[in-house]
Amino acid sequence: MMPSGLRRIGIALACIGSFLTTPVFAEYADVVLNRMAEKEGMRPVIFPHWFHRIRFRCKVCHAELGFKMRAGSNLVTMGDIIDGKFCGACHNGNIAWAPENCDLCHSGKPGLPPGIFGGHDTNGPGRW
Amino acid sequence: MMTRRFSTLAACLLLSATALTSPSFAQNDAGKAVYDKVCVACHSAGIAGAPKFGDAKDWEPRIKTGMNALYESALKGKAPAMPAKGGATDLPDADIKAAVDYMVAAAKGGAKPAAAAAPQAAPAAAAAPAPAPQANPAALNFNRLLKPASKRNPPPPEDGIHDPENDGTHALQPPLTVFQSLPRSNAGNRVDWVKALDTNQIGPRWDRTDPTAAPVVMDLNIVREVKGSMPDVVYPHKQHTAWLDCSNCHPQIFIPQKGANQISMAAILLGQKCGVCHGKVAFPVSECRICHSKKKNVMPVKNAQAN
Repeated sequence: MMPSGLRRIGIALACIGSFLTTPVFAEYADVVLNRMAEKEGMRPVIFPHWFHRIRFRCKVCHAELGFKMRAGSNLVTMGDIIDGKFCGACHNGNIAWAPENCDLCHSGKPGLPPGIFGGHDTNGPGRW
Repeated sequence: MMTRRFSTLAACLLLSATALTSPSFAQNDAGKAVYDKVCVACHSAGIAGAPKFGDAKDWEPRIKTGMNALYESALKGKAPAMPAKGGATDLPDADIKAAVDYMVAAAKGGAKPAAAAAPQAAPAAAAAPAPAPQANPAALNFNRLLKPASKRNPPPPEDGIHDPENDGTHALQPPLTVFQSLPRSNAGNRVDWVKALDTNQIGPRWDRTDPTAAPVVMDLNIVREVKGSMPDVVYPHKQHTAWLDCSNCHPQIFIPQKGANQISMAAILLGQKCGVCHGKVAFPVSECRICHSKKKNVMPVKNAQAN
């Protein structure tokens, strides 16, 4: 009884510790895309929902462009983008700036797991 | 000899420091208010070459050019990135000057924003109840879930996920530069997106290429009766179809048939049903009453009208 209680406290402390050591105040609904980026030697991609929803309705990306509404379920490659798919449908130098501005998207801290960020408001398995 | 000179020097410094900081407290309420609302977006982190708040090294060469030159830059803008009046062109000149004074005082005194806020909080609360009470960050530290006002909507280099060593990070737009002018809410981005859209404060495109395309809005409320004393849920198609296509929700997330969907708060918290968006991009479940908005009839009434 006692050891299991202690272990539970230990786990709780570890959890709290992990929150304390990495203060993440990411903007609500920021999405980290990192299924490919770091393997290819780039920083993870951060997609800010807030910036895009001021300019486009949800439907444009989530119905027309085929982005599934689950963080991590979209395997986006630079090849696709350059071919005009996913981000490349707008980021083509025509509607929005072209994909040669690598560091505007690939701006995340190394080692970030893919998923949806934004603090305790963000819940559920947004991770795939 | 040497020590005496040093002590007089120290005394002079001390005097001048108090002389510099004490008048600033008098007019700082206005200056601080403007700083917290406008300037903070760039000057708190030193974005795009902006001199960082409280950083004596950043401010020293600028202060040397004289206060008039500083006022001029603040009012009319300055070459690399400083917009006229920091973008808040509707503010009177005096407010902008007060903000400059506030930042200069902070740079000279090395006062941190938190330290400056503390002595001001008391008189401000006593004098006027109205001007948006500033949350004291220290008071909220015990709860890691509560973000003090200063930690909300941080600029990209400070948000914990963007890499500050990446040049592109500093070119990204800080959220507050836009959010300041949008209707506020208490959770999520702290922006009431539905209201912002309704009042045409934002005009997101419905079509990727056609800026004139308008959504087909469907105005149909679905009332879902819930157990217990919680008010019933009113689901408005209107606000949802203004952003989304039918196919975003139907039929994968919600079967478009009355009574065919089992929805529970547990499922929503697990990221299913409403939780696919609410708690991720749309307002989170902490805002109970936005959905649970229809009061129950206390006495059971036959043929109670829906909505």
